[in-house]
Amino acid sequence: MTESVSPKLKEQFGKLVDRRLMASLEACVRCGICAESCHYYQADPKPENTPFFRAEQVRSVYRSMFDPIGKIAPRWVGAKPPTQERMADLTDMAFTNCTLCRRCTVNCPFGVDTAAIMRSVRAVASANDEAPEILTQLADASIAREENMDLFKDIYLEQIEMMEEELQSLTGDPDAKIPVDVEGVDVLYVALSGAHTILPAARLFHETGTDWCLSMFEAANYGLFVADTPKAKKITDRIVKEAKRLNAKRVVVTDCGHAYTTLRWEAPNWYGEPFPFEVTSLIELLAGWITDGTLEVDPSRNTESVTYHDSCNLGRVSGLIDEPRTILRAVCEDFRDMTPSGENNYCCGGGGGLVAIEEAVEKRLLAGKPKAEQIRATGAVLVAASCDNCRIQLGDIATNYSLGTQVTGLPELVLNALIPSVSRKNRSGSERRVNSVTAVGD
Amino acid sequence: MTPYEVAGLTVLAIGVALLLVGTVWVVNSTNSRAFKIDVAPSRGSMTRGVAYAFSLGMAPWAKESTRRHLIAYVRGIVFHTGVFLSLGVLVVSPWLWQLPEALRVAVAIVLAVGAVAAVGGYWIRLTDEALRRVSTPDDYFSLGLVTVLISVAAMACVIESWITGFWIVSGFTLAYLPIGKLKHSIFFFYTRFQFGTFFGHRGVLKISRRAQ
Repeated sequence: MTESVSPKLKEQFGKLVDRRLMASLEACVRCGICAESCHYYQADPKPENTPFFRAEQVRSVYRSMFDPIGKIAPRWVGAKPPTQERMADLTDMAFTNCTLCRRCTVNCPFGVDTAAIMRSVRAVASANDEAPEILTQLADASIAREENMDLFKDIYLEQIEMMEEELQSLTGDPDAKIPVDVEGVDVLYVALSGAHTILPAARLFHETGTDWCLSMFEAANYGLFVADTPKAKKITDRIVKEAKRLNAKRVVVTDCGHAYTTLRWEAPNWYGEPFPFEVTSLIELLAGWITDGTLEVDPSRNTESVTYHDSCNLGRVSGLIDEPRTILRAVCEDFRDMTPSGENNYCCGGGGGLVAIEEAVEKRLLAGKPKAEQIRATGAVLVAASCDNCRIQLGDIATNYSLGTQVTGLPELVLNALIPSVSRKNRSGSERRVNSVTAVGD
Repeated sequence: MTPYEVAGLTVLAIGVALLLVGTVWVVNSTNSRAFKIDVAPSRGSMTRGVAYAFSLGMAPWAKESTRRHLIAYVRGIVFHTGVFLSLGVLVVSPWLWQLPEALRVAVAIVLAVGAVAAVGGYWIRLTDEALRRVSTPDDYFSLGLVTVLISVAAMACVIESWITGFWIVSGFTLAYLPIGKLKHSIFFFYTRFQFGTFFGHRGVLKISRRAQ
């Protein structure tokens, strides 16, 4: 099929080409030195897996629509018309051959934002109902939850009640609560679906005596993965409205890469103004509590060797690079950083929504090879990660590459090392008694 | 002034005029595109990010890619030194032969090395499968144009009669700059600025993190 697609594609793409995207589309000189920065190329070194080759496929279409020379003499600048076949290939590439990790941007002499280029393709695909169905369904499900809140609320509250019982058993405090819908609260905590991101945080909030409540909505925002900004905004808006209604001072996002990026960095720009509340990550909160002594921890309780995988959205995109290391150095006896790490960390291969796309499982396992090699090189037994999608992928590559590693989260490691405040109070009480006895003895 | 020299200067003048008009057109059409100032509260420093992007961030040790491709990086630096030196020679060309011979010869040697590095660009582009597949006629033409520019600049430093030819080549190169691949020299400033603001604002770059 070689016929051109409808003119609306030009209009759709044209709306997306802002100054940032245009510069990235125009600046690349095809020097090729970004090749090895991509985990896909590292895993399978073929031209199609280089960032510049992939971006060039989009540029060729861009030139055919917007470059004057591309219109007059397309062959001269490699301009190619956006046929249906070509657009289908671009869509597949943007959703399954790039995890939007921005490692190539950090390594480009120009700083070309290839992730932005790939996002534009995702956005066009979404506008034409060509995005992977599962990602769209997950985004739509989030919106449906708010639209049918009456239906969901009772079930959700029942689930929370059950979790509350577990919390009371874990903390030994029959009054321990998982509060919801509390006005004037200090922290509105936004978790993911399921207890695994609620209970550990609830224990930590209980331990620190934080004035908090749990959001009625989950943090995940698949609107971001399908690059559908109106949809992503609608999903975010549920949390924003809730935070405003409760007059919360801070919204704390669970350890989830894309959820944090969405609420912390992207969403204020959709609204055109900063939020009237602070947006922080649970990881920032934990690092702060450990640094200022709110949480007392004993690293000897985590004796196994631990390495840390930087989620691209938290590290390279959001700058949360020091905080997880502050936590791990405090709570683990044997923390081993990966090489490279931080802003140069390799994507695990599951980012950009890839973990949810069943058809791309082989691609993502292959793309996880550099990460598997990084983990193996540390010799660590535990791999900590601050993102649910990363944790799924890290578990899968551990099996696929026989790493023999277990995956864990930072809150779990902190809880394991935690010296409960009750013990601290008892200890300081007995210390006082010893001191008074000593004083009498003297 | 000979008719040949008049022709040379005319081509150069047209080239400069087209460069100015073309650059204004490129900048205007880029700036007419939507641009949003990031309103998310900063956790770093945009200023430091931009300063880094245009200075230390371009050092060969700053990026894994340039450390890995050190030869390609050095080739690029030598090549671009040749380009900028050629433009310098163009500016002083009316008085070029009033300069000391030793200086002219030294400049010619640097330019010759730059020209060799430029030819090296063909070698890289043709031997790497991925680059060969994405390279367009514009890539080869632009590289050729600049290679000729540097070479003729070198010749003009040692043979006075080549100055007019240098003006003509310069005129064509400058006229082509805003049209084809050479316009990366304009967009370089956009992308580096964006790199600095994006990663600086978010505190990703160490230098911007320290500024908090």
